[in-house]
Amino acid sequence: MVFSIDVQDLMKKFGDFTAVDHITFQVKRGEIFGFLGANGAGKTTAMKMMCGLLRPTSGNATIAGYSLKTQSKQIKKSIGYMSQKFSLYNDLSLFENMQLYGTIYGVKPAILKERIHDSLEDLGMDKYANKLVGSIPLGWKQKLAFATALLHQPDIVFLDEPTSGVDPIVRREFWERIYKTASTGVTIFVTTHYMDEAEYCERISIMSHGKLMLIGTPTQIKIDMKVDTIEEVFGKFVKR
Amino acid sequence: MRVILMLIKKEFLQVFRNPLLMSILIVAPLVQFLLFPFTADYEIKHINIAFIDHDRSSTSQDIIKKFLGSPYFITHGILPSNDHAQALMLRDEIDFTLEFPVDFEKDLVNQQKTEIAITANAINSVKAGIGTAYVQNVIAEYMNELMAVSKPDQGSQAQILATNVYWFNEQMNYKNLIVPGILVILVTLIGAYVTALNIVREKELGTIEQINVTPIKRWQFIVGKMIPFWILGMAEFIIGLILMKLVFGITVQGSIVLLLGITAIYLLAMLGLGFFISSVSENQLQAMFIVFFLFIVFVLLSGLFTPTEGMPDWAIKLNYLNPLSFYMDVIKIIVLKGGVLQDVKIQIIALSCMAVIIDTAAILSYQENSK
Repeated sequence: MVFSIDVQDLMKKFGDFTAVDHITFQVKRGEIFGFLGANGAGKTTAMKMMCGLLRPTSGNATIAGYSLKTQSKQIKKSIGYMSQKFSLYNDLSLFENMQLYGTIYGVKPAILKERIHDSLEDLGMDKYANKLVGSIPLGWKQKLAFATALLHQPDIVFLDEPTSGVDPIVRREFWERIYKTASTGVTIFVTTHYMDEAEYCERISIMSHGKLMLIGTPTQIKIDMKVDTIEEVFGKFVKR
Repeated sequence: MRVILMLIKKEFLQVFRNPLLMSILIVAPLVQFLLFPFTADYEIKHINIAFIDHDRSSTSQDIIKKFLGSPYFITHGILPSNDHAQALMLRDEIDFTLEFPVDFEKDLVNQQKTEIAITANAINSVKAGIGTAYVQNVIAEYMNELMAVSKPDQGSQAQILATNVYWFNEQMNYKNLIVPGILVILVTLIGAYVTALNIVREKELGTIEQINVTPIKRWQFIVGKMIPFWILGMAEFIIGLILMKLVFGITVQGSIVLLLGITAIYLLAMLGLGFFISSVSENQLQAMFIVFFLFIVFVLLSGLFTPTEGMPDWAIKLNYLNPLSFYMDVIKIIVLKGGVLQDVKIQIIALSCMAVIIDTAAILSYQENSK
């Protein structure tokens, strides 16, 4: 079976500090994969390496069929990324932001226009296309950032704590969008520290101190660990 | 190409929507042009002068009257003694005293030779130096008049008069030197400072990370950043030239096309510098410190405010590494002297080399994926 994400022995050191300690795992195409861990566990570092933002110290990964070491340009074309920090331009309008990123990803102008239109309509933001992004609420911004990351129809989307700081209703809506996107065959790789969100994932992994502690479906993990919630599982690892 | 155009569009939209940046771009040249030349002026006016007249002759009185009529001097009357004069000078109320000795007039008529003591307050050495020259001028002028009146028949007698002709700046108008210098500062600041701050700001906001995760090519990103600020810099320069003409009546003596061409090269170097600084800075504050540190060094070395001739040898040699100094030369040569391509060949070569080196360093220092 060909994996959408195939990480092999990936390691990252910052000086003496090992942020990511030889992790190996695979994600299937169209899977919603939850990447869990406490703050500083190395989630974001691992994710940044997979997106080509950070160079691994050792190890390799195959992302969307391309080697991280030798084909990082092709990887970048095949993935979408939404960072922990909201990072669209606040002083550009919704439309201008989407146009900018769509163009950078090489989407043809006519197609791009259509996709932006559909996407904004789908989000219910078509009336606000010309409003500056800085003037819309945070929940909207996150949904917009997600939609922008999908404009070039990537194979994989990396979401780094996409719902941090937004209210429960928007979180719910956000996850509905994630499901919808995954159903079209897009692989979703999401980090979160909301444990209830972990239950929404098809498979999860838990990282602690740079190491991958366990990996599996939420149900299987709970049975194996003899607990009722992922929160309890998480508690065991973070305390250790 | 579409990517570059989109990046340029994005940059301009952001500039025009950033009220602070817009006001810097508009207000900076206005303030610099309207305020700076009037404050940074070596011309000395309002020199406070007092007299000590031991002679009390008509000659000494005539000389004093000469000072009364001069726009450069504020006269503080005739003081009774040297002690008085000293006290006033201590309190900074007067800058100069002119002391006429006893028998001043008599010596002048009989021996054709006499002395006047000029005492200057040299705390401000520039003022003292220039003021002394003014005082001597006034006295010399009086003596010439006196000669012409008393011995008109001796017109044939050889008289050596030292007359100064100041080339390229005939009225010794300091504004002619300062104003083109301000053009240099303007272009430098827009080039290096605004570019550096812009990019570091994207770093701080995290937007650059979103750009870095796209398949954008390194040169696309850099060109997309440089072109908008290059256009802004050129626009500022042209505004500067217009203000220079309107406010100070200084027109470019040489070719404007040549001037714009060299400015374009210089701006490329400064944009590269800004880019490089943004690569090595973590935040806007750091970038600001580095820009200002370099800027002050460049300006002081360049001889905008102080003549380079007075600097030690090593400082003069350092100027070979100072892009601002070469560009300042260009401005002086083309704007004031009306120089042609031949006259600025060296500067063009130097600035081009610097632009290539700095821009290469900028491109190399920009890392899409950090280590």
